[in-house]
Amino acid sequence: MRSFIAASAAATVIAALSIGGSPARAQEHVTIGIVSATTGPFAAPGKFELNGFNLAAEEINGHGGFEVGGKHYLVDLKIYDVHASAAEGASAMQRLTTVDSVPVVLGELSSAAAAAEAPIAQDNQVPLILTVPTGPELTAQKNPYVFRVNANSNQLAKSLADFVGKQGWSPLSFIAWNNDAGRGGVNGMRESLPPNIKLGYVGYFNVGDVDFSSHVTNIRSSGAKAVMLLMDEEPGSLAIAQLRAADVPVQIIGTLAMGSDRFLKRLDAARLAGMVQYNAFPPNAPLPRIKAFSDRYKAKFGEEAHGFAAQSYDGLFVAIEAMKQAKTVTDGPKIRGALAHLTYDGVIGRIKFDAEGQADPPVYVTQWCDDGRRRILYPADMAAGCGAG
Amino acid sequence: MMLALAEQVFNGVMLGAIYVLVALGLMLVYGVLRVLNFAHGALVMLGGYLCQFVFSHVIASYPLAIAGSIVALLPVGWVLERGVFAPLRDDLQNQVIASLGLVLVIENLVLVVWGPAALQFRLATTQVLVPFGPLRFSLQQFLVIGAGLACVAALFAFLNFTKFGTAVRATAQHPGAALVVGIDVGRVHAVTFAIGTALAAMAGSLLGPLFLVFPQMGDGPLLKGLAAIILGGLGSVWGAVIGGFAIGIVEAVSTLVIPTDYRDAVAFIVIAGVLLLRPHGLFGRTTRYEA
Amino acid sequence: MKPRDVVVFAVVTMGLLLLPAFYGRANYLLHILVLSGLYAIPAIGLNLMLGYTGLVSLGHAALAGIGAYAVALLTVKAGLNFWLALPLAAIASAAVGAVIGALCLRLRSHFFMIVTLAFGLILHSVMNNWDSVTGGAAGFAGIPRPDPIGFAAFRSLPEFYRLTVVATAAVFAVQALLVRSQFGRVLDAIRQDEILTAFKGIDTTAYKLAAFAIGSGIAGLGGALEVSYLRVAAPSSFDMVESINLVLIVVVGGAGTLLGPILGALVFVGVPEYLRLASEYRLVIFGALLVAVTLFARRGIAGLFAPRRAKTA
Repeated sequence: MRSFIAASAAATVIAALSIGGSPARAQEHVTIGIVSATTGPFAAPGKFELNGFNLAAEEINGHGGFEVGGKHYLVDLKIYDVHASAAEGASAMQRLTTVDSVPVVLGELSSAAAAAEAPIAQDNQVPLILTVPTGPELTAQKNPYVFRVNANSNQLAKSLADFVGKQGWSPLSFIAWNNDAGRGGVNGMRESLPPNIKLGYVGYFNVGDVDFSSHVTNIRSSGAKAVMLLMDEEPGSLAIAQLRAADVPVQIIGTLAMGSDRFLKRLDAARLAGMVQYNAFPPNAPLPRIKAFSDRYKAKFGEEAHGFAAQSYDGLFVAIEAMKQAKTVTDGPKIRGALAHLTYDGVIGRIKFDAEGQADPPVYVTQWCDDGRRRILYPADMAAGCGAG
Repeated sequence: MMLALAEQVFNGVMLGAIYVLVALGLMLVYGVLRVLNFAHGALVMLGGYLCQFVFSHVIASYPLAIAGSIVALLPVGWVLERGVFAPLRDDLQNQVIASLGLVLVIENLVLVVWGPAALQFRLATTQVLVPFGPLRFSLQQFLVIGAGLACVAALFAFLNFTKFGTAVRATAQHPGAALVVGIDVGRVHAVTFAIGTALAAMAGSLLGPLFLVFPQMGDGPLLKGLAAIILGGLGSVWGAVIGGFAIGIVEAVSTLVIPTDYRDAVAFIVIAGVLLLRPHGLFGRTTRYEA
Repeated sequence: MKPRDVVVFAVVTMGLLLLPAFYGRANYLLHILVLSGLYAIPAIGLNLMLGYTGLVSLGHAALAGIGAYAVALLTVKAGLNFWLALPLAAIASAAVGAVIGALCLRLRSHFFMIVTLAFGLILHSVMNNWDSVTGGAAGFAGIPRPDPIGFAAFRSLPEFYRLTVVATAAVFAVQALLVRSQFGRVLDAIRQDEILTAFKGIDTTAYKLAAFAIGSGIAGLGGALEVSYLRVAAPSSFDMVESINLVLIVVVGGAGTLLGPILGALVFVGVPEYLRLASEYRLVIFGALLVAVTLFARRGIAGLFAPRRAKTA
C-alpha cells in the first residue's frame, strides 16, 4: 500500500512537471520502428544498440521534441525483437510498415535479417536505416530505401588492412565466428590486404564454441605474426585467455567489442597489454562530441559507451534530421529523398550517404596500454596517448 | 608437421575428455532405459548454472558446490524420468521428440531466470597452468580428465561388482527376463536415470569454470557426446570412452588438413560413415549392454 | 474421399483466396498467413514421413534449404524463369532426399534420426560456408518474387498470398490423395509393423524411400517459395533449430492427420505474433506442448477437432 501511495505521488509529480515543462505546446508523437534483439544469442549486442536509441530518444524528448512544419513532435520507439532471423525480420518489418505505420525503421544486427527487411522497406516505401550489420551486400543491392550509418565489413577491412600493412604484421591469421560478421570480416580483409601482408591460418568456430585450443596451436605452428579475432566479447575473452595461456607470441587484433572497460573486467591489463582493436568511436577520445556522448551514456547506463550504441544514437538523429528537412513525419519517399542528400555530424563522425546509401564514418584503431588504459593509433591525425582510447 | 600433429592429438584428448564425461551419462541412460535423451545437454548446462550459483551464493567451496549441483539436479532428473520417460517406455520415437521438447523448456527457462549473458565462474584451478611440451593446459583440464576417469572406474565397479549393478545390467539386457527373476525394473530405471543426471551435473560443474556458463553450453557437448556413443556402440562404458576421445582427436587433427568451417561437419561425416558401414557402431555388438 | 470433404476443402480455399478483397492492400494478417503456409508446406512433407510412415527426420529443414538455394541459383545466377526453376528445385530436394534416404533407411529408428540430424548439419555447413555459391552466412540476397504468368502477377503481398494459398492447398490435396491411396495404406502398414508388412512380400524399403523422396521434394518446394517470398536465402532458416521446429509443428499440430501440419504452422507462427510473446516464453510453451502431446494427445491439435475419428495407430 505504501509503495502504491509513493508511486501515485511520484506519478502526480511527474505529470505536474511535464505539464510545467512544456506549457501550452500541444505535443504530438511520432513512432519510429526499431528492429533489434532483446532475447537470444544476440541480446548482448542488441542491448547496446537499444541503449543508443533510447538515449537519443530521451534527449530529443527532453528538449521538447523536434519541430516539423511548425509542430512539435515527441519520439516514441516501437521495438521488435527479431532474433537475427530472416523470417522474423520480415514479420517485424511488415508489421511496422503496415500495422504501426511508422515513417522510418532503424537498427538490425544481422545481415541476413536485414536482407529480408530491405525489400519490404522498398515495397512499402519506408526507409530502413541500418546501424550495426556489416554485410556489404546490403547496400550493394542498390535498394533506394536502405541506408547504413555504420561502416560495412569492406570499409572496416580497408582501414584495418591499411593499418596492418603499415605495421608489417605478416603473416596475418584469423579466429573468426562462422557467421555473417566473422566470415564477412575475413573475406573483406582477404580482398584488402596490401601485398606485403600474407594471409595465414584461418580458424572458424561456431557461435557457442568455447575451446580454441586447436586454433591456438595452428596459429603458433604457422608462425603467424598477428591474429585477428573476429567475434564479440564473450568468445573474445576466452580466445585471448587461451592465446595468452599458451604464450603464443602474436600481436592480437580485436573488434570494437574488445576496446572497452567492460572487456578489461573480463580479463586483466597484463593479458590485454599491446592488443589493438578497431572501433567505430573511441569512448575517451579528446573530442567534444565524443566526450559529451560518453559522459551522458555513462550517467544513464553506468558503464562505458559502446560503438553500437554510438552508431544507433546517430542513426536516430539522422532519421529526425531527415524528417525535419523533408518537412514530413509520414511521407516515406520524401524522407528517403532527404536522407539521400543530408549531411549530419554525429558522434561517430560525419554521416553522408553515397549513391548506394552507405555512409563512410571513420574507423579508429586503439591499443591497450600496460596499465589498462587505451591509446589511439589510427587514423594518424587522431593519434593520442594512453587514456584517450 | 609431426610436432603439430602431436600437439593437436593432445588438444583432442583434452577436448575428448569433456565429450567422454557427457557421453557417459547419455550412454548409461540409453543402455538401460533405451532413451536417447537429447535433454542431457540441457541437464549438463543446468548443472553448470547450479554449481556456479551454489559456489557464488551459498558456499565458496568447489567440491561442495559440485555436490550441491548434483543434489539440486537429482529432483529434476526424477521428474523427467517419472513424468516423461517412464510413461513413454518402449516408444523410442516419442521419447526423442519429448526430449527435444524438454531441451526447449529447460534452455529457455534458464534464459528467463539467468538471462542471456554468460556467467564467469572463476576458480584457482583455471588459473594454474601445467606445461606439457610446448602446450600448456590449465589444472581444471586435468581435473576434467581425472573426474572422467574416476566416473568411468566407479561406473565400471558399480555395474560389475555390486548386486544392484548386476540388476542394472540384467535389465539392460532383457527387461522382461529381469522382471521374471524378481528385479524391480522401475526402480532400476529410476536409479539409472538418477546416476545419469548426477553425471550431467558433474559434467556441467567441471565445464563451467573451464570456459563460461551460458544457456547453450550443453548443445555442442551433447552433439559430440551423441557422436561418441554412436561411434563407440551405444551402451558400452568403454565404447563411450573410446568414442569420446576419438571424436575429440578427429576434430582437433582435422583442423590441420580440412578448412575449419567444416570442423563440425567432420565429426558428423564420421558418425554417418560409421553408422552406414557398421550399423551398430565401431565397437558395438548386437547385444544391448556390455560393461 | 467423401464428397463433403472435397466441398469443405474447396470452400475454405476459395474463402482464403477472397480474403485480401476484404482486408485491403498489404495487410499484416496476409503476411502471417503467408508465413504459416510457408511453414505448413515443408511440414506436410515431414508429416508424410513422420506421421504416416514413422520416419522421424531431424534434418528436414536442410532439405527445404536445397530447394531454396536451387531456386536462388537458377533464377539469379542462371537467369531461369521462376516457374521453370521451381519444379527443378523440388526435384533437386527430392533427389538429395532420395540419396540420403537410400543411405539412412536401412538404419533402425534411433540411428535413422541421428543420421538425418548429421546430414542436416552437414548440408547447413555447406550453405553457410560456400561463400562463392550460396552467399555464405550473410545470405543470398536479391532473389526475385515469381515471374508473372499472363495476367497473374505474384509480386505484391496479396498476390503472393494467393499463390501461397494455392500452393498449400495443392500440397494438402497431394497429401490427402497419397495417404488414401494404396500407396498410403502401405506406408501406414509399415509404420504399424514393418516386419509384418515385409512378410506380405512388399518391398518396404522402396516404399519408405519413395515417402522420403516425396517428403523432401515437398520440403524443397516450400523452401523455394519461402526464399522467393523473403527475397533472401539465409542459412539460419535451414538449420537444426528449424528442423526441430518442423518436427514440433507436425507433432503439436497432429502427426498422421491431414490437417495437423497446417494447424501446427498456424499456431506456431500466428499465436506468438498476436500475443507478442518474448521468444523464451514462446519456446517454453511450445516445448511443454510438445512433451504434453507425446504424453497425452497423440493426434495433437487436429485430434481436438476430430476426437472420435477411428484410430489408425
